[in-house]
Amino acid sequence: MATISVNHLSFSYPTEDGQKPLTLADISATFPNGGFSLLTGPSGSGKSTLMKIISGLYPKFGGLITAGEVRLNDTKISDIPETDRGQLVAMMFQNPNQQFAMDTVERELIFALENQCVAPADMMARVDRALDYVEISQLRHRQLNSLSGGEKQKVALAVIIAMQADTILLDEPFASVDPVARQLLLAKLSRLQHEEHKTIIISDHDLEDYDAYIDHLFVLNDTGDSLVLLNDKAAQQKMATFKRQDTSNQQLLLPKKTDEPIISANNLKLTAGTSTLLTQPKIDFFQHHITLLTGANGTGKSTLLLAISKLHQYNGSLLLNQKEIAKIRPNRLYQQVALVFQDADQQFLNVTVSEELALSLKNSQAPAYFKDRIPKFLEKLQLTQLQDQVVYTLSGGQKKKLQILEMLIMATPVLLFDEPFTGLDFSSLQAVMTIMKQVAKDCQQTMIIVSHQLFGLDALVDYHVTLENKQLQYVEGLA
Amino acid sequence: MKYSNAWHLRDIILLTLIAIFFGVIYWIIGPLYNVLTVALTPVGLGPGANDIVMGIWVMAGPLSGYVFKKVGSATLGEFLGSVVEMFLGGQWGASTMISGVVQGVASELGFTFTGYKRYDWFSLNLSVLTTTIVTFGWDMIRNGYSKYHIGLLIALFIIRLISTWIFSGVLVKAIVNLLDRTHLMQTQTR
Amino acid sequence: MNPSLKFLLAVLIALEISFTNTWTVNLGLAVIGLLVILSSRPSLKRLVLLFFVPLIPAVALAVAILLQSNAGIHFALVLFTRIYAYVFVGSAATLTTSVADLVMSLEQNAHIPSKFAYGFLGAFNLLPKIVSEVNVIRAAGNMRGQALHIWSPQLYFKAILASLDWSENLAEAMTSHGFSEDAPRTYFKQIRIRWWDWLIVIGSLALLQVALFGLHLQ
Repeated sequence: MATISVNHLSFSYPTEDGQKPLTLADISATFPNGGFSLLTGPSGSGKSTLMKIISGLYPKFGGLITAGEVRLNDTKISDIPETDRGQLVAMMFQNPNQQFAMDTVERELIFALENQCVAPADMMARVDRALDYVEISQLRHRQLNSLSGGEKQKVALAVIIAMQADTILLDEPFASVDPVARQLLLAKLSRLQHEEHKTIIISDHDLEDYDAYIDHLFVLNDTGDSLVLLNDKAAQQKMATFKRQDTSNQQLLLPKKTDEPIISANNLKLTAGTSTLLTQPKIDFFQHHITLLTGANGTGKSTLLLAISKLHQYNGSLLLNQKEIAKIRPNRLYQQVALVFQDADQQFLNVTVSEELALSLKNSQAPAYFKDRIPKFLEKLQLTQLQDQVVYTLSGGQKKKLQILEMLIMATPVLLFDEPFTGLDFSSLQAVMTIMKQVAKDCQQTMIIVSHQLFGLDALVDYHVTLENKQLQYVEGLA
Repeated sequence: MKYSNAWHLRDIILLTLIAIFFGVIYWIIGPLYNVLTVALTPVGLGPGANDIVMGIWVMAGPLSGYVFKKVGSATLGEFLGSVVEMFLGGQWGASTMISGVVQGVASELGFTFTGYKRYDWFSLNLSVLTTTIVTFGWDMIRNGYSKYHIGLLIALFIIRLISTWIFSGVLVKAIVNLLDRTHLMQTQTR
Repeated sequence: MNPSLKFLLAVLIALEISFTNTWTVNLGLAVIGLLVILSSRPSLKRLVLLFFVPLIPAVALAVAILLQSNAGIHFALVLFTRIYAYVFVGSAATLTTSVADLVMSLEQNAHIPSKFAYGFLGAFNLLPKIVSEVNVIRAAGNMRGQALHIWSPQLYFKAILASLDWSENLAEAMTSHGFSEDAPRTYFKQIRIRWWDWLIVIGSLALLQVALFGLHLQ
């Protein structure tokens, strides 16, 4: 039983030169006891920061509360001893890969119970019940490293259940979770709320599928200075407008017989841990075309791009220009194929924006084309003023824009994009798409784009492939 | 910047991760040591391979010392790295952990002699020197270097000094310079 | 056998044979190590690797003594067998103990602070991710026309940045799972040191002294 109240909270990540820009500024709200609340807002608005403050992780692990407080019932979070906190609030994290200390599922649950000083004789009963509750008893002795994203999040929920935490916080928990696991997790959370009176808060920028479960919708604005609880009508409206932007009447063509294949899969099989993601008898991706690849979270879209980039093993055959990708030497392959990683930080090699651009231009396959155009592109992307800035301190959207630009400059014949539009505001999105289209045409590139965000993509892409039921298929509609 | 000597959970994880990364980079990038050893063995200079790659082996020590700026960080970094390596099945078996401590203390001394107050080129070079001398002493015993002709002994020492200087000195400094420019270390390690 | 004492024994043996020059004792230790390894039923591939891996340094050291010193064949044999003793004794310990068990024993028996024990363990369990991250870093370099070699600062720079990120995530997650530095914990699996654990350690070391001393007299 817990009411969480946020009172005039301001929070900052102080910078090197002593400045204290506010990530959250004077926000207030009350998350009702026993409710299922959804916290939404654009990426970069500070949802994750707020969740970590409520869970007591911040400011211990970073940042500074400059004003206000968060209370759990009537106690300030910071006054609750760390050892008691686990029973009060527990958190499920966005990245399922770095949330376990131990090697197996059972050991992780036991680790959490040991931390709470549970008597050893009581542990097995709690472990059994928690695994049973989330329906993962069969995963009990499995290595955590061998589990899929959805399975890992089920384990994370089992840990929280075993710890008997009163308030359950979930920070964008479904980013790498497949639809079936997502439904199961949401149903279990709903049961925890109704039968065991847990208070649940989920943060997510995606509102899909939530309307059946949530009681309260909170919205944090993009500058982090307003947190409001929507009334029922406004909440309904927000959920309705979020329903996939209406792209149903936008039609694309199917590939033509005359199109030249550049990447061909034959009896391709992709696996993650022990689960099969894809079994594909045959499919081609076509030269000098831009292909959009869509499908639900956790179904293997990113894995396919990684396989084409020789960063994930595959069975069967995957050909690039008639050559088996597994057999092409890395330095040769990456002159033909480059990947725009989902995590922009993985792309960067240097420190400042201008160093990053200089490296790309130096090794570009079309230096003359880009040399004159870079200033104009920078201006369109609003990056001109940022050239001396450290890339790791850019905002999420700025990182994405720089990353896309520096990979376009390389002018690699095949360019793969893994969620390139995350965190971009409307005008940035327009600018990025215009530049991508222009470069693809002028440099005769082939592009494959994995994206959730479909708005305006009909102007950019030629073909659309969906990944569903472990199969890839060309479709005409964009939706 | 204030640096505390207390080790927190996050520091320990970070130090271990860095140690493992360095070990993995060494193993993935190529069986450099094996190739060199096989090439040099027919003329009896096989152990020279050890001295040529020594700088890469011991890099994690001075880097940890420099990055964490805490008493014992160089030693702990090397030691944790050696435990990982032993579990991965390294070529020196049970002696790996001893070498880990020896190498760690060796690179730590450079920072100890400057009272953990200086973290610059000077303390790094001092660390390179102490690392070379102490690890060489350990190889005199463990790998029987003490029996070699004096000419070879001097040559091996010089090779080791150069290797350690290039990797644990110049390369570590280059890495630290990149890190310093991002300002990420200062805001994140406490 | 108790994991902490097992590793202590292995390290003490390695330390002692570093300073002694009796090849028969080295050989004996290697054989005993091998028997322990065989009792853990390793795969054939692992066994082959176990014989092959130490071969390179062992041969190198032995040949160097023969060609570059006056120490003679006896000392060459000492160095050759020493490497095998190191590796087989070490593997006898590592192949029969999981890292998790060692860490739990170090916490309960050697009273290492739990933050060191579990901090190390959490990082160690990220090993597969670390291997793939190194591949990603090198690929990211190649995709930008910059091959990253073992002497490239960027390679290590990116590895450290990833470590920074992951260490924060993992430390937060462990804290959220109730872990608190220096706070008391209960143990589901009690790991004890029994009298026979001490007997094995003391007995083995005593036997080692007898063997070394006895053979030295001859």
